[in-house]
Amino acid sequence: MSAASFTARRGLATRAVLYAILVLFAVVYLMPLYVMLTTSFKTLEEIHQGNMLALPGEWTLDPWREAWGSACIGLECNGVHGYFFNSIKIVVPAVLISGLLGAFNGYVLTKWKFRGHKIVFGLMLFSCFIPFQIILLPMARVLGILHLANSTGGLVLVHIVYGIGFTTLFFRNFYASFPDELVRAAQLDGAGFFTIFFRILLPASVPIIVVTIIWQFTNVWNDFLFGVSFASGDSAPITVALNNLVNSSTGVKAYNVNMAAAMVAAVPTLIVYILAGKYFLRGLMSGSVKG
Amino acid sequence: MSFLHINNVHKRFGETHVLKGIDIAIEQGDFLVLVGPSGCGKSTLLNMIAGLDSISEGELLLDGRCINDVHPSRRDIAMVFQSYALYPSMTVAGNIGFGLEMRKVPRKQRREAIDRVAKLLQIENLLDRKPGQLSGGQRQRVAMGRALVRDPQLFLFDEPLSNLDAKLRVDMRTEIKQLHQRLGTTIVYVTHDQIEAMTLASRIAVMRGGELQQLGTPQAVYDDPNNLFVAGFMGSPSMNLVKARIVEQDGLPVAQVATEASTLTLPIVRDRDALRDWRDRDVILGLRPEAITDPASANHREGNIHEAELPVALVEPTGADLYVVTTLGGTHVNARMRPGTPLRPGERTRFAFDVSRMVVFDPESERRIRDERVAEATPIGETA
Ligand SMILES: Nc1ncnc2c1ncn2[C@@H]1O[C@H](COP(=O)(O)OP(=O)(O)OP(=O)(O)O)[C@@H](O)[C@H]1O
Ligand SMILES: [Mg+2]
Repeated sequence: MSAASFTARRGLATRAVLYAILVLFAVVYLMPLYVMLTTSFKTLEEIHQGNMLALPGEWTLDPWREAWGSACIGLECNGVHGYFFNSIKIVVPAVLISGLLGAFNGYVLTKWKFRGHKIVFGLMLFSCFIPFQIILLPMARVLGILHLANSTGGLVLVHIVYGIGFTTLFFRNFYASFPDELVRAAQLDGAGFFTIFFRILLPASVPIIVVTIIWQFTNVWNDFLFGVSFASGDSAPITVALNNLVNSSTGVKAYNVNMAAAMVAAVPTLIVYILAGKYFLRGLMSGSVKG
Repeated sequence: MSFLHINNVHKRFGETHVLKGIDIAIEQGDFLVLVGPSGCGKSTLLNMIAGLDSISEGELLLDGRCINDVHPSRRDIAMVFQSYALYPSMTVAGNIGFGLEMRKVPRKQRREAIDRVAKLLQIENLLDRKPGQLSGGQRQRVAMGRALVRDPQLFLFDEPLSNLDAKLRVDMRTEIKQLHQRLGTTIVYVTHDQIEAMTLASRIAVMRGGELQQLGTPQAVYDDPNNLFVAGFMGSPSMNLVKARIVEQDGLPVAQVATEASTLTLPIVRDRDALRDWRDRDVILGLRPEAITDPASANHREGNIHEAELPVALVEPTGADLYVVTTLGGTHVNARMRPGTPLRPGERTRFAFDVSRMVVFDPESERRIRDERVAEATPIGETA
């Protein structure tokens, strides 16, 4: 056997093993999703027959309808749709505002350096390491003072404040490699502070904007702790509603409805990842590699 | 009253004193080139003129008006950056028109101005592209277009050609020169390139370590350097700097240089009065390679040619010239001879020294030793 074909064979064998391992991991990761999806299309009787991994014998959309419109959460039986829109109402302004503020901070911290800008950035960075739990009580007090307790507005504020550290970090690192000369050229051209930001920097920030949106969207959408602490009842986000749905079902557990509701809660983040995912890695890399 | 007057300007970044009192005055239509080693403060000075860096001390006058505290956008100055600094998300037309847009020029007028400049720079077919889709030379033109479209009082160029390949650089150099001749706008231009400096400038300012070494016409800076630094910095291959001793012969000062075997005596015709005081002291002679030739190519008209037979240490043909190296005063000395002169290392040949072009320096202070009257030709930036 020639050396070339030997190495070729060995390459093939290595590759086979590699793919086997990758497929295995993929299966392990996809299994819960598979179970969730199949269960959400099964009738309760079929679930009680026991085979979790089987495809639905009889496909039904009823669990989805129920989860969306008529499942009982606490005392109300209107499904999760109201909470879904609560989450949208929270996540859209929270992502936009925290992202915009982060971009502004990054812009000022890199292009309009002031005395002590390093300390300010250090403190902002520090805020990324503060655990959720620590700020619960002080935040509750602040929301109370602002009359924002138990409202989506309050939750938006919490997420903005908590998110600014991260968004600032993202944008600062991105703008640090953005040439200062562009800002100087724009100044000579007569552009002011805001014009330079909106016309020169922001249009060139698509990759980092995508990263920020993904990051903030998933964090805010998936948040449970802030939601359960600061917004209850009608203004709760979907994560809290899901929890209540699962816990409040008296009598028989409607696994199919629960799974459908969980899927409803997961779909927006999935969509964001699929639409923006290919930018994600590119954006994370863009600070290190000049491009 | 000069057009641009940089009056005793200092710049400090915290503790570091970057510019230590720069005095430069130029007239309208001048092409001032700033040269100097890396880190000497050229870009800093340019940025201060543009208003992008503050002035720590001193005064900046443009057309008689003090512009120290005038905002960059109100100085009527346009700058071409070393990196071009094109706005990445705008088209070429957007880039060129941005300054006009900011100045609220109506769209139609803006379009006309962009077209005019695009035509001038031959980039009409690129107007809808983004900077990322352009070659280096094309980007450079766009960067110039952005400055030209505004028709400012003063152009600033910070090493605009340094990113280009050699061929393109020569082409663009010619274009810049033509542009200056056509528009007649005053330009301040930074470069590392000797040839760029010599060919473009109407005035050259040589800087070192935040201090102005000399300001003058290219020819004056080249032929009549203020000090050893300027002599060594300008010109390529650089000026030969040779240790020598001044002695008196027949009542006139002459320079004695040690060769390998004996002593070469060169008569002094320049700065003779000043050098009388240097009798029996060591000096440094400066002789450009083209002032040492073969006897046939020497310029005999003025009768200042001094010939001597010396050994050849090395021969370096460049095609256009033949550089012949010999040893004088312990250092290698470049002589420019006619190409094709059949010479080999170790042979002896006759060298012709044009002593009228010889300059003499004080080895201690490194200043030029020169007669009084020459000094007043370059009153500003005089270090002597
Ligand atoms: N923001 C700053 N803070 C501190 N020192 C600075 C700053 N900017 C420039 N310097 C220093 O000032 C000096 C002059 O810098 P400058 O950029 O003007 O040099 P230059 O002559 O343009 O050099 P080059 O030819 O390499 O472009 C350098 O020693 C540099 O380190
Ligand atoms: Mg520079």
